[in-house]
Amino acid sequence: MNKDNLQSIGDEIISEANAARWDLGSDFHDSIVETIYEEASHIAHKTVKQKDGKQVYSFDLKIDKLITSRWLGFPLMVVILALVFWITIAGANYPSSLLADLLIDTIHPILKNFANALHLPWWLDGVLIDGAYLSMAWVIAVMLPPMAIFFPLFTLLEDLGYLPRVAFNMDNLFRKAGAHGKQALTMSMGFGCNAAGVVAARVIDSPRERLIAIITNNFSLCNGRWPTQILIASIFIGGLVPASLAGLVSAASVVFVAILGIFFSLLVSWGLSRTVLRGEASSFSLELPPYRPPRIWRTLYTSLIDRTLIVLYRAIVFAIPAGILIWLVANIHIGELSIAAYFIKWSGPFAFIFGLNGVILLAYIIAIPANEIVIPTILMLTVLSANISGVGEGTGVMFEMDSIHDTAQILQAGGWTLLTGINLMLFSLLHNPCSTTIMTIYKETKSLKWTLVSTFLPIALGLIVTFFTTQLWYLFS
Amino acid sequence: MIITNYIVNADARHPAVMLVIGLLILTFLIWFFWPRNGGLEWLTKIYRHNKRIQLEDALKFIFDCEYNKVKCDINAIAGNLNIATDTAGELIGKLMELEFIHFENQFVTLTDEGRSYALRIIRIHRVWERYLADQTGVKPTDWHNVADRLEHHVSQEKIEILAASIGNPVFDPHGDPIPTKKGELPDAKGVLLNTMKEREMGKIIHLEDEPSSIFEQLNVLGLHPGMSVYITEVNDKKITFVADGEECTLTPLFAGQVKVEKDDHKTILPQKHELLSSLEIGDEAIIKGISTNCRGPQRRRLLDLGIVPGSRIKALMKSASGNPVAYNVMGTTIGIRKKEAGLIFIDRIKIKEHAHS
Repeated sequence: MNKDNLQSIGDEIISEANAARWDLGSDFHDSIVETIYEEASHIAHKTVKQKDGKQVYSFDLKIDKLITSRWLGFPLMVVILALVFWITIAGANYPSSLLADLLIDTIHPILKNFANALHLPWWLDGVLIDGAYLSMAWVIAVMLPPMAIFFPLFTLLEDLGYLPRVAFNMDNLFRKAGAHGKQALTMSMGFGCNAAGVVAARVIDSPRERLIAIITNNFSLCNGRWPTQILIASIFIGGLVPASLAGLVSAASVVFVAILGIFFSLLVSWGLSRTVLRGEASSFSLELPPYRPPRIWRTLYTSLIDRTLIVLYRAIVFAIPAGILIWLVANIHIGELSIAAYFIKWSGPFAFIFGLNGVILLAYIIAIPANEIVIPTILMLTVLSANISGVGEGTGVMFEMDSIHDTAQILQAGGWTLLTGINLMLFSLLHNPCSTTIMTIYKETKSLKWTLVSTFLPIALGLIVTFFTTQLWYLFS
Repeated sequence: MIITNYIVNADARHPAVMLVIGLLILTFLIWFFWPRNGGLEWLTKIYRHNKRIQLEDALKFIFDCEYNKVKCDINAIAGNLNIATDTAGELIGKLMELEFIHFENQFVTLTDEGRSYALRIIRIHRVWERYLADQTGVKPTDWHNVADRLEHHVSQEKIEILAASIGNPVFDPHGDPIPTKKGELPDAKGVLLNTMKEREMGKIIHLEDEPSSIFEQLNVLGLHPGMSVYITEVNDKKITFVADGEECTLTPLFAGQVKVEKDDHKTILPQKHELLSSLEIGDEAIIKGISTNCRGPQRRRLLDLGIVPGSRIKALMKSASGNPVAYNVMGTTIGIRKKEAGLIFIDRIKIKEHAHS
């Protein structure tokens, strides 16, 4: 037989098989699969002897009934998540200041002295040490400790079996928004770090719902933004009430912003699943594993290596060029003014419509590598544009003040009001994700279109929200 | 320009005017993204109305007529494509020029070339529908429309990759056979539901997806290919039948959209089962099966979790928001949404076991 002959016989067999498949009907495949499963479960029943399972799981069931109860379920969830954030923020303070002492207050001057000794030109020393090095040092000092605390804690909750219960409780809300129940998990993860939240969206199998989870993850207020929120809230909102209430009121306002984020996350999911990503919520069947003691060492290892270090590495990759850029815009002069001052002056009227100012806009553009460096950048730019002398570390060098009071004075000298503070809090929630997250979104979706949507959709929402807040404020004041 | 100046000039602007401008822009944005009749949809509709797409749609329709042995004239084409008779005439002229159709005695028939072109488009359409139904969350009433849009923009090679990735399906989710790569298609099978007589039984093999308003109604009633039906009563106004144990009544017009393959070997009468969604917390049941309306990966996922005929299942607890409900099956706890639980048939275990629970 020659090749052609074989080919034609092959084709004949295939078309014969096709005709047979048509005759068998559409549910043939499913019924075969079902028979196999049925047979397998039959064999399992005959051969596997189970101990009295009820006793083993009755304790689990008691915990489950409590955790998923109508009245306790949600409050318990809020308390546990709040506890995780509190441990993260409080626990990161000390190691962060230790790192800052080492990298910024100790090594930075040493490098400067070393550069001096080498007689490096001032601009080279500025770009490399005040720009690239300092920005990298800052990102490590403020990002590493919270992530190294948050991720292991979060992984522990996951290991313990609590997180699947959270998804189970929250599913109804997300189903109504056309999203997947597991989006509750990626959302909670996003409270730690949006980049990690985007990666976590891999647990969702349906591509449509996965995309929704990725796009809306940025509405979870991440670790990098909590300190900004807390600082601005204590300065502007805590200042409105007597000192004894200040802490409580500013904390409440930060929680309000975080809840607003959840609201936007659901609203945008709902909007997307009715327009560009139209569709029904796909099936949701979630295994609720039995509670088990977490494997602490493994958890520490995987969460440190897989999550913390990867995210940190990506942040550093962007922090170095951004640091150079920050230094350059503050130091390159066109005529009288630096590029930064030009931009701040030029964008001022535009920013004013949204109750912001040119400094905030510029800070959000150049501090894209990490939300953590937004406040240091804002302080540096405010000092630069308002010509405040005697504070700061020099042109183009980011810094932070030791006390909230000093920070407040700089901001007020820069023309900030209560409205600016409120709008900064809103804009900090609703703006583009950091460059690490944007890059992660691109790696996960492999689509430029959806990366751009996830980048610009929050900015558009942020501008809409701040615009209406500002104009209504003007109207009623 | 006046508006721009107004906005930029900080001293002149008034918050009330700014709010109005803002609201106008917001309204425009909402309109633009509004589903079904917003600006974005409108733009895509304009884009859709190009000539090639019309030609392909016309070919598809003429093929459908031939397949169902209905004669096809210019008015039918105009009606189906929702265009004027003159435009339909132009379209037919163009198709004859391309030697895709013959036009004799006011009736249109396909040439071999036209038929194979139409079969190619139909293959793409039905493979897409299958994909949308099994792998995505696109609503049943949207399958047809989405596939209609996609079929004109996909190459033959891409569709073969897609078909292979979902196991080379031979039926679309409406029960229509998918033509093979070479354009083979089995003869039309089955009879329309409104031609069946009392006490006849069979299996639903097809639900017509056009017009979509009727398809939507049939969908709401829970009808889908694969259900077994038994006709209980027929008169001029309505047809009553039992579909998978559930009694259903349709007007002859609606029943004309449902095709049934008659089954003369008296199989066991499909009996009515309770649904898992009706099981109360703490109660136990034996699983009887999964509805044929639950397909593909969704079905396999349930089987993976142990939802297999014969297994015992127990409702454990509701989630804090009431839905999903957690069940114990084969020693594990799984959460299932109310909608999926409504696709699982059970037999309740009557005698309650008062063991320690």
